[in-house]
Amino acid sequence: MGGILFFCGFLSIFTTIGVVVILGNQSLHLFNREQCVQAGGATAEEVFCGHATIGEFLTGTEWVPDQLKFGVLPLVFSTAMTSLIAMFVAVPLGLGAAIYLSEYATPSIRKTLKPILEVLAGIPTVVYGYFALTFMSPVLRDVLGQDTVRTFNMASAGLVMGIMILPLMASMSEDALSAVPRSLREGSAGLGATKLETTIRVVVPAAISGIIAALIISISRAVGETMIVAIAAGASPNFTFVPFDYAETMTGHVVRISGGENPYDSVGYNSIFAIAFLLFFITLALNIVGRYLVTRFREVYE
Amino acid sequence: MGNSNYALQAKNLNIYYGEFRAVTDVSMVVERHKITALIGPSGCGKSTLLRSFNRMNDLVPGARVEGELLFQDQNLYSPFVDAVEVRRRIGMVFQKPNPFPKPIYENVAFGPKVQGIRKKSQLDDIVERSLRKAALWDEVKDKLKKSGLELSGGQQQRLCIARAIAVEPEVLLMDEPCSALDPIATLRIEELMRELQEQYTIVIVTHNMQQAARVSDYTAFMMVNDKRSGELVEFDMTEKIFTNPADTRTEDYVTGRFG
Amino acid sequence: MPPSSRVTFERELKNLRDDVLMLSIMVDNAIQQSTIALKQQNVDLARQIMAEDKKINDLRYKIEDDAYTLIARQQPIARDLRGIIAAIHIAIELERIGDYAAGNATLAIELANEPLLKPLIDIPKMADISRDMLRTAINAYIHWDIESAQQTIQCDTQVDVLDERVYHELLDLMLQDRSKVARATFLLWVSHNMERIADRITNICERVIYMVTGQVHGTDGIVQGVDGFRLADD
Repeated sequence: MGGILFFCGFLSIFTTIGVVVILGNQSLHLFNREQCVQAGGATAEEVFCGHATIGEFLTGTEWVPDQLKFGVLPLVFSTAMTSLIAMFVAVPLGLGAAIYLSEYATPSIRKTLKPILEVLAGIPTVVYGYFALTFMSPVLRDVLGQDTVRTFNMASAGLVMGIMILPLMASMSEDALSAVPRSLREGSAGLGATKLETTIRVVVPAAISGIIAALIISISRAVGETMIVAIAAGASPNFTFVPFDYAETMTGHVVRISGGENPYDSVGYNSIFAIAFLLFFITLALNIVGRYLVTRFREVYE
Repeated sequence: MGNSNYALQAKNLNIYYGEFRAVTDVSMVVERHKITALIGPSGCGKSTLLRSFNRMNDLVPGARVEGELLFQDQNLYSPFVDAVEVRRRIGMVFQKPNPFPKPIYENVAFGPKVQGIRKKSQLDDIVERSLRKAALWDEVKDKLKKSGLELSGGQQQRLCIARAIAVEPEVLLMDEPCSALDPIATLRIEELMRELQEQYTIVIVTHNMQQAARVSDYTAFMMVNDKRSGELVEFDMTEKIFTNPADTRTEDYVTGRFG
Repeated sequence: MPPSSRVTFERELKNLRDDVLMLSIMVDNAIQQSTIALKQQNVDLARQIMAEDKKINDLRYKIEDDAYTLIARQQPIARDLRGIIAAIHIAIELERIGDYAAGNATLAIELANEPLLKPLIDIPKMADISRDMLRTAINAYIHWDIESAQQTIQCDTQVDVLDERVYHELLDLMLQDRSKVARATFLLWVSHNMERIADRITNICERVIYMVTGQVHGTDGIVQGVDGFRLADD
């Protein structure tokens, strides 16, 4: 039995290592090997070749692999933009919902609402994607004007992504708030603090490490989210800071390109590995920062 | 300040949790600047009674109180009384030390801040005064920025006492304040109670009869009746309860014959 | 940590000690005054002593009551417990000494009507020795001084010797002159009371020895050594 369990554990670690190695190795191809494209599209005869550098990759503002332009920033910025919009939706609403559930709702309401929240988290993201495209975008366009808001835009993708993340944020925060011992609430109430004062001054600070953990996981989720942005945010890279404009995110780009007919070791093929590797680093960094923040703000109450 | 010489007076107090009557018909007077102890076997309703004294039971869903609880000639359970205000005037120290996971300074300044005191100098003053009263100042004055949770159990409990007296309550309710402490820390808290008695009225729940004997001026002995509801069996001067109680049930309890 | 974490208890112990000290001063005073009343045939002073005895009794009961409360409320153990037990016993002894002094005051009233048989010399001497003994005994109690308690016990012999001398003197007087029998008998009682006072003080010393050592039977033989002719010590 112990052997089987060891095998399971070993397998998961091995898989992770395997993914990292392949990802790293493949993405290095973009920088190590000479990349060649056919100028003027697939039908043209002329072939251009050149080298991509890591500096160009990280600082360039144009992503046109067919012209050997490998600036990843447009993709990173749109990912950041959609994630930011999502967090603006998910954090206040999720935290509010969590506080309501943990501090104000009666046990029966809590028993009903929490499972519903968790069902919400189980809706496939492709459904959210079409919700963004067919509901949120038209609404935004109606409200803000057809000229301001494009059919494919980062705002609607971000908003809907926020709605998608909200249950996760709320549920995790609620867990953190509920874990705060009753004695702290009583201590605060015993000093003549109202329920709201108790919640804001005692319960939330005491649960802050859990709430930060929820926040970080939510951000990672937003950064890694694919279907919604692929469907609603647009299908070509665009270096812009206007949220109502179209722009392809890192994940959106990877999924579109990998769905096409790029042969092995082609420019497109190698470029998406580089993007995925960068994405991997971003989420890794977020997790490390998250862990640091959790220990930094931890208020141990036992 | 009312002109009455009692701090609290319960008149036919009944406390319910839903349908269950946890405490039946308690009438007693808590005298000013005295320490009144509530003793009795586990589950006799002594903590419930104590928590009714500052409407802490309001926080428990389904809890309900009948009868009167007079504080300065006013019934605390009248519909016009704000429970939050009651808790400001009647403070509480709990069984397990429960400092907030905040710096020592912030723990003590919490109550005053909630009451709207913002001035740093005034807060500094209150913090120092409260910590001195709680006999903790000398031990923590150099580490006010450290978390309250870094203190020892006994120090934490004294911090909780400092926190409670920082809002200048008139009555201090203590719910088994020493049950989580070692004997030396316990004796320190007991001595502290004696000092605080000069300024505050104290009601203490304790499962430790010796403690009631040591610190209190009055002792109330409670027991459950045949309906499993807590009743006041005997209420008298502590000396009387521990040398010559009137009720044989009290005598059996204080002599360790049951409970 | 402060010197003691039981400040209240310490204070109450000290109060108890102070009360015992106060009681001993009152008793000491009663012995002195009763001797003066005898010597000066002062009826008023004698009456005053008898009235004072009530206060002595009251204080004794207060000490006892406080001690019981202290035991019930503070759960004293070891030396604290022994100190309190000793205080109870010492208070009882002191009260009895007070009774003997009051008894002598009553006798002084009886003796005031007729001239004294002879100038009082030995009886005041007994009183002086007893008062010294009382002071050293109470000092021993206050300072937990076992040596001075033991030395005090030794002094009892002096009082016994004096008592015996007075006894024989008065016996001679009575044999010589029948009219003196009544007055001599009263004086005999006075002397006997003085002897009893000294005995009670040795009892106090025994309590001090118990208090310090925890031994209840520290002084066998010393007390009974001298007076073979008297009934058993009580």
